[in-house]
Amino acid sequence: MSKISLFSKIKNFIHSDAFIFLLPAFILIIVFYLIPIIVSVYMSFTPLKNWNIARYIHEFVGFENYWRFFYMVTHDPTVEPIFITTIVFILITLAINVLGGLGLAIATFFMGEREASSTQLLWLLPRMTPIAVYSMIWYYFFHGSAIGTLNSIMMSLGIIHEPIDWGQSIIPWGPWMIIIFVNGLVGVSYGMIVFTSAISNIPKELVIAARVDGASNWSITKNILIPLLKWHIVYVTTWQMLSLLTTYDHIFLLVEWGLVNRYYGTTWALYIYNMAFTAAEKDLGLAAAAGVILVIVGAILGLLALKILGFEKMVKEPRGDI
Amino acid sequence: MKYCRALSKTAGIVIAIIIIIGIAAGAYYYISQKQITTTKLIRFVPLTGDFDKDIINIGKALEQDGIKTVQLSVWSGGDPNSVMRIYGIVEAAYRINKIWKQNNINVEIKVTTRYVSNPNDVYEDYINKWSLGQAPDIMANGYTYIASLASEGYILDLTPYLNNYTSFLNQFYPTLIDAMKWNGKIYGIPQDTEARPLYIRKDVAACAGLDLTGLAEKIKNGQLTWSDLYRWALKVKESGCAPWGLIHRKGSAHPDLIQFIYAFGGKLYDEKTGKLVFDKAAVYKWFVVEKTFADHGLLPHDIMSWDWAKQIHPTVVDGKTLAFIGGTWHWFEWQTKAYYTDPKTGQQRPLTSEEVHKYFYYTLFPSGIKGKPGLTLSQPFAWMINSKAGERNPNYDKLKDLYHELVFLVVVKASDPDIVAIHSLISGHLPVTKTAAELIKNQTWVDELKNLKVKLAPEVLNNIKNIIEKTVNPLNVQFLANVTYMLEYTTFTPKHPQYPKLASLFAEALDQVLRDKMTPAQAVNYIVEKINADPDLKKSVEIIGKIPQNWTFP
Repeated sequence: MSKISLFSKIKNFIHSDAFIFLLPAFILIIVFYLIPIIVSVYMSFTPLKNWNIARYIHEFVGFENYWRFFYMVTHDPTVEPIFITTIVFILITLAINVLGGLGLAIATFFMGEREASSTQLLWLLPRMTPIAVYSMIWYYFFHGSAIGTLNSIMMSLGIIHEPIDWGQSIIPWGPWMIIIFVNGLVGVSYGMIVFTSAISNIPKELVIAARVDGASNWSITKNILIPLLKWHIVYVTTWQMLSLLTTYDHIFLLVEWGLVNRYYGTTWALYIYNMAFTAAEKDLGLAAAAGVILVIVGAILGLLALKILGFEKMVKEPRGDI
Repeated sequence: MKYCRALSKTAGIVIAIIIIIGIAAGAYYYISQKQITTTKLIRFVPLTGDFDKDIINIGKALEQDGIKTVQLSVWSGGDPNSVMRIYGIVEAAYRINKIWKQNNINVEIKVTTRYVSNPNDVYEDYINKWSLGQAPDIMANGYTYIASLASEGYILDLTPYLNNYTSFLNQFYPTLIDAMKWNGKIYGIPQDTEARPLYIRKDVAACAGLDLTGLAEKIKNGQLTWSDLYRWALKVKESGCAPWGLIHRKGSAHPDLIQFIYAFGGKLYDEKTGKLVFDKAAVYKWFVVEKTFADHGLLPHDIMSWDWAKQIHPTVVDGKTLAFIGGTWHWFEWQTKAYYTDPKTGQQRPLTSEEVHKYFYYTLFPSGIKGKPGLTLSQPFAWMINSKAGERNPNYDKLKDLYHELVFLVVVKASDPDIVAIHSLISGHLPVTKTAAELIKNQTWVDELKNLKVKLAPEVLNNIKNIIEKTVNPLNVQFLANVTYMLEYTTFTPKHPQYPKLASLFAEALDQVLRDKMTPAQAVNYIVEKINADPDLKKSVEIIGKIPQNWTFP
């Protein structure tokens, strides 16, 4: 591509209506996505710590932070359970988030307006509740002693006679079950909102026509709703997967409070957080290096997911023979 | 559509780079300009060591420069009873304002405060906001943060100021001043300290026929060690007097349980090398002791995940254990929080001071070695002054030194004996100055405090009067006086910035030992492996000693 054609293309684009339409989104992407990534990459080559930007910003340590990161990962005896936990956590929570969100959206589609609103609001509660409060609720619910709500209910029903330390004694499924359950409930609402909004845009005539033809709810779901939600399923799956890869806030509290086993309750993102921020010195250079690696892993997984789910086929221009 | 296609990927990248370079250049220009303007130092008043004279001179100098109000902020955190960590500064400002008024100086200090439950959050916010100029002028926080704050230049070196205030400095217990030092310089003024007594239930001991007479003295002299305490706990359990022999904190091993390392003659820090120390033998013995307690049902296997409010405190105050490794502040906490289940009503309520006194015996933490004295561990709080203190006030470039001197004197005032003594009496922390310790013994003054007749700023009095009413009484005063001797046997945790990482490994490993997932030897080797897996920790920690082969407990 010649230089002249590049600049003339830019010039043409800047003078176009499309540029005006795209500008707000373009600015947001630059400010909130591109710049932070560039700053993180830069930080990962500095010895930045304790937010002392003025002091460390001009120092350059090359790949030192990356070396430290790989050294820790390859020498730490607890990496293996953390790695397995991350995979299990992402796969199962993702399935719950996507299928749960889809199921709820479809179920509320067939409900009356009032019931649908109440159900949706109920499922939004986990996301609306402050993280510490939400985590505290499940901390007491799954607590491994008799003060735990679950133990207390099961003991009063005579199902168990001694309290079960769910997150600490049933390894690894106990802690996995808790972190998946707690995060799964939060994530379901996101898929539910996207799918509900998508269903509301499906032309009503299609459903009415199906009803007239005597189609059942299941048949409408299978033959109309799901096929028309394919695009949204791909989007929610990819988005939630990346979100789960980087989430650690609820898990951090559950591990810190001793509810779940430290190794089978810690995911990759939390491991990185602990690596950089446990000491009194906040090792931002190391955190940035780990973050950059996480972005690369996330990007690869994201692209892979889009490929597997057939994203490319969906964005192809219509052939005009519909 | 054709215009959309006109934007190739390269064009997008070029536009993005131009915008980023623009923003970066602007930010760089802003930072460099700010650095240039903040290097102009002009005004200061030589300190004489005479507080009134110095504060008047500073007030006059500020007035001459047209300053009418000085805005200061103070942040701190901790339990609800420790609010003097912020109100001490409010009170000091009130007293300084009074001096200025009496001398016709038309300047006033106004203080804004922030107090949260977790002091670590205050530290994290401080370092996050320092570069933005939003950190407070004064922070009361744990002395362990001094190392990282001083090494970043975030707090003021107080040595030059204290050189003129030697008589003020001499009021403090020398060990506390040592704790405030980093690389030979003093970066903090002690605000409070504490001891971590071993509490023994008198009623449980009596039930098992254990005689507590002279116990504190025996522990102090090293005649009674953890082996003896284990036998006592076993006797309590076997006689059915209490389900547990020992209860201690959950989660973090920092700092209550660290006392075990010192009790077995170990160390955590080498002054000569400036490195942390991982003493394999001492840590192994600590783990063996706790495992032995747990294996015999004297200590819960899952104690590291017990709940403070619903399990640990109720077990202790309801007399379901012989011993509890706690702190002086717990004596006061049990009187303000409803952990105790009243057997008559079945309702939870706080213990009365008489009940706390009736149920609990307190002593030093026993040694692990016969003949070696018992010990305790303190983690003093320090007033730390922002190295940019006063920055939000007018003419900072010119008056920077003057503002720093003023903030230093505010902290000096906040160390007045009555302010220190009030903090101790309402929070259960130990006084940091000898003058405050004396004042606590003064019954007339204590009565005045109890009757809210002491002279305090109205804002301060209003905020602490409820706590005073609940906590100031002769039994608590006696408790504070009785535990102050423990400071002579106190130890500290290292101020090293990597120490929290090591402490967190101790907690992890101990939890595994208590849950029977690792043997004490495996746990020690696990910690070694984790130290070696972290380049920073490996560089900062010296691993010494060996796992003893023939050592047994009890």
